[in-house]
Amino acid sequence: MKQKYIRNFSIIAHIDHGKSTLADRIIENTGLVAHRDMKEQYLDNMDLERERGITIKLQTTRLVYKAKDGNEYIFNLIDTPGHVDFNYEVSRSLAACEGAVLVVDCTQGVEAQTMGNVYLAMDEDLEILPCLNKIDLASARPDETKKEIEDMIGIDAEDAPLVSAKEGIGIDGLLEKIVQVIPPPSGDENGKLKALIFDSIYDNYKGVVIYVRVFGGSVKVGDMIRLMATKKVYEVTEVGVMAPGHVPSKYLSAGDVGYICASIKEVKDARVGDTVTLDDDPTDQAMPGYKKIQSMVYCGIYPAEGEKYEPVKDALEKLQVNDAAFLFEPETSTALGFGFRCGFLGLLHMEIIVERLEREFNLSVVTTSPSVVYKVVLNDGTIKMIQNPTNLPDPAEIDHIEEPIVKADIMIPKDYVGTIMELCQKRRGKMLSMDYITTERVDLHYEMPLNEVIYDFFDALKSKTKGYGSLDYEFIRYENSNLVKLDVLLNKELVDAFSMIVHESEAYNRGRFVCEKLKEIIPMHQFEVPVQAAVGQKVIARETVKAYRKDVIAKCYGGDISRKKKLLEKQKEGKKRMRQFGKVEVPQEAFTAVLKYDDNK
Amino acid sequence: MKKLGIYIHVPFCLKRCNYCGFYSNAMTDATGAREAQTHYVQWLIGKIREKGEEFRKKYLVDTIFIGGGTPTILQPEAIEAIMGAIRENFAVESDAEITIESNPKTLTPQKLKRYRATGINRLSIGAQSMDDDILKYLGRAHDRADFLETYEMARKCGFDNINVDLMFAIPGQTKAQWQDTVEQVIMQDPEHISFYSLQIEEDTPFYNDYIDGRLVPLDDGLDRDMYHWAIGRLKSAGYTHYEISNAAKPGYECRHNLKYWSFDEYLGIGDSASSFMNGIRTTEKPREEYHENDFDDNAGEFVFTGLRKRQGISKREFAERFGREFWDVYEGRRARVQEFFDSGALLEEGDRLWLSEDGIDISNQIMAMFV
Repeated sequence: MKQKYIRNFSIIAHIDHGKSTLADRIIENTGLVAHRDMKEQYLDNMDLERERGITIKLQTTRLVYKAKDGNEYIFNLIDTPGHVDFNYEVSRSLAACEGAVLVVDCTQGVEAQTMGNVYLAMDEDLEILPCLNKIDLASARPDETKKEIEDMIGIDAEDAPLVSAKEGIGIDGLLEKIVQVIPPPSGDENGKLKALIFDSIYDNYKGVVIYVRVFGGSVKVGDMIRLMATKKVYEVTEVGVMAPGHVPSKYLSAGDVGYICASIKEVKDARVGDTVTLDDDPTDQAMPGYKKIQSMVYCGIYPAEGEKYEPVKDALEKLQVNDAAFLFEPETSTALGFGFRCGFLGLLHMEIIVERLEREFNLSVVTTSPSVVYKVVLNDGTIKMIQNPTNLPDPAEIDHIEEPIVKADIMIPKDYVGTIMELCQKRRGKMLSMDYITTERVDLHYEMPLNEVIYDFFDALKSKTKGYGSLDYEFIRYENSNLVKLDVLLNKELVDAFSMIVHESEAYNRGRFVCEKLKEIIPMHQFEVPVQAAVGQKVIARETVKAYRKDVIAKCYGGDISRKKKLLEKQKEGKKRMRQFGKVEVPQEAFTAVLKYDDNK
Repeated sequence: MKKLGIYIHVPFCLKRCNYCGFYSNAMTDATGAREAQTHYVQWLIGKIREKGEEFRKKYLVDTIFIGGGTPTILQPEAIEAIMGAIRENFAVESDAEITIESNPKTLTPQKLKRYRATGINRLSIGAQSMDDDILKYLGRAHDRADFLETYEMARKCGFDNINVDLMFAIPGQTKAQWQDTVEQVIMQDPEHISFYSLQIEEDTPFYNDYIDGRLVPLDDGLDRDMYHWAIGRLKSAGYTHYEISNAAKPGYECRHNLKYWSFDEYLGIGDSASSFMNGIRTTEKPREEYHENDFDDNAGEFVFTGLRKRQGISKREFAERFGREFWDVYEGRRARVQEFFDSGALLEEGDRLWLSEDGIDISNQIMAMFV
């Protein structure tokens, strides 16, 4: 029975708690990858991921570990993305495992996102193996952390391995624990094929490569497979394991983690969570938990001044091939011209896509205010889902608008409870409950409009808790709300790219904030530029960008020429990055600046 | 032979003014100061000799400017030694314009007479204001009476080419105060008047005050009102407004400073002194800089510095200097420049391109089109 020697597991952790470093050490200590071939953080292979220290795309690796009992074990280490935006993907990765190593930074303790992932793992009935990281640091407090784990999660942390992933301390102990604690897979190798897709990537030569965990039966080259949710049928061209590159094998059978290629053209045809079975001998029941991906946040992406439409379109297409959660379609804006409406899992996902456009494709783009999807119920009862504020129907036609509400879990040190409750209050949060996790740490449970969460809530939370606060949220329902469309007018002309939907009670504050921000950012012109925020026809805030009265260097002698020239060059460069609206020039950064959290406001 | 302007930097002052970003050291301790100055002048003379060996055969010096700092706090022997070193190591034209910068309270008749005797024929006095409260606020070491005394002294000692430096748009200053200053100076009838709108320079006490919000800059509207009023008043008093911040009686325009705005060569000697020689811009230690100009640098600097002069630039001269027609070089910018022609800020007629008086107010964005 080969299953006895297989361990399928994930590592779950909060951002920065050292998950990727630990994965590196595990890979290194099982001897599969030579130390000299290791880039730091092997599993995070996008530059952006390594830089931000987070995992966006999954990486799965098959390792061989020779245990103290003399047997060789196959470890399938399935990586999980590390951010609240990617909860669904995390849950599918976990579903492919029997156990999870829970990494807790014992200088920080348990945080909200750790809890989020722990609950996801518990939902999948995984065996959880706690492990305390950063044990080498002076500020490590392993005993308290163990107690926190026991109190909060209710699992025994007494024998939790103490490691330092960075220094390579305690890794062997952890590997032995994995063998002992995490159960081997089960499932009938001779049964009907049933495999869960937990990730897919696009490969230029092979087409879509789907990553699966086989729960029953087996699959080999030449089989006709059916994807149960999309109901599409393909012929298998290759199967294999990740070691960590693609290594073809004869077949995959129950208990295995591996990949399948079947000439699938787009990742969206092989959705995460879907079940693979044989077309001529299908399983009766698909794997539970499949969900269609739902974009939570939308925004417009437009080519910046001097950038063309086609390269942006090509780049978005290329990104989409590899990211089933990212949607886009063409749209036009009176202010920005031809561009795209894009859907994301969350704000981080959006920032990542925009950054990749800029870095990997060297494109300069403008993004419009992000928006959630509103449910607009018209007088005649028809329902419209609106994700672009510009498309909001005439208020006279609207019976009411509903907005998405999320349940937010906010974990903070107790000293910040007052400040954060005030913040949540301001963001229209309704407190459900508050738990003391330990005497020092508090878990606040709120219901909040998603619209309030996406703008700058996370930044505000981090800023107000000196970085200690953490947030986890999930959609719960749509709720009737008093919402209005806030427009921005520059020099009396509406700039649709700035329009946003806000709660009526917030319209005035938001309008004033946007006007003040734009006043700071828009440079002086030869004429006065009124900046107005309006709801319908009513102007609710106004600022004026003064006209240039004085833009002159008074003194310019022998020693000043180089410096003053640089000054003028800077002024010229600044002008290049401007976007022209009528006669008004607006710097590119204005579009994001009006969304950013400002400590002083 | 090519013409050359020499600039000598003397980095010593009685005290640092609150607005000044020039390189200089305040000299409080008299004995230590004397020593440092002697040391510096000796070093300077060595430098003059060095530069002379390099350039004397190729250049004829037609202007000398001893600036600072406050060069007049040096002993008269020091100035004599510097002038002697220049004459020994360079060929100086007989009618060269030789200026020394000064502050009231640092001059005596004896000093002035000895300066004249070295051939120094132009005196620049940093008066800044005729209002004692404002002078105090600026951190100046003198008051109005000191200025008047110095000015009279200079006339008596034979200086028939005097510049008075003035400053406006000082926080808290009223238009009437500024007008009063200008009137009083016009009454003295100097040959040249410089009038600067206060610039907040980095690393000065004013800059720190500004960042901390203690200094509120004068409203731009009032600043420009003061500026344009002064231009009008000076014109009616017989001065020609020839550069953004400079006016002179006909024939008394500062020939040395004009080199900076005319893409001419100049050689700076001394700490932090800047030079433009053979198409290379350099600045001495401690603010060291070295930059070999390329075509774009040259064209941009010629235009932006040239537009500071009221007569503007000559497109023919541009073509002669750089081998390409002006509008060929700037073809791509023409559409954006048109905005300024349309509003009358920038004017073009025949060979010349220049800024209107109103155009000066927004000259940075116009000049930025050409760099």
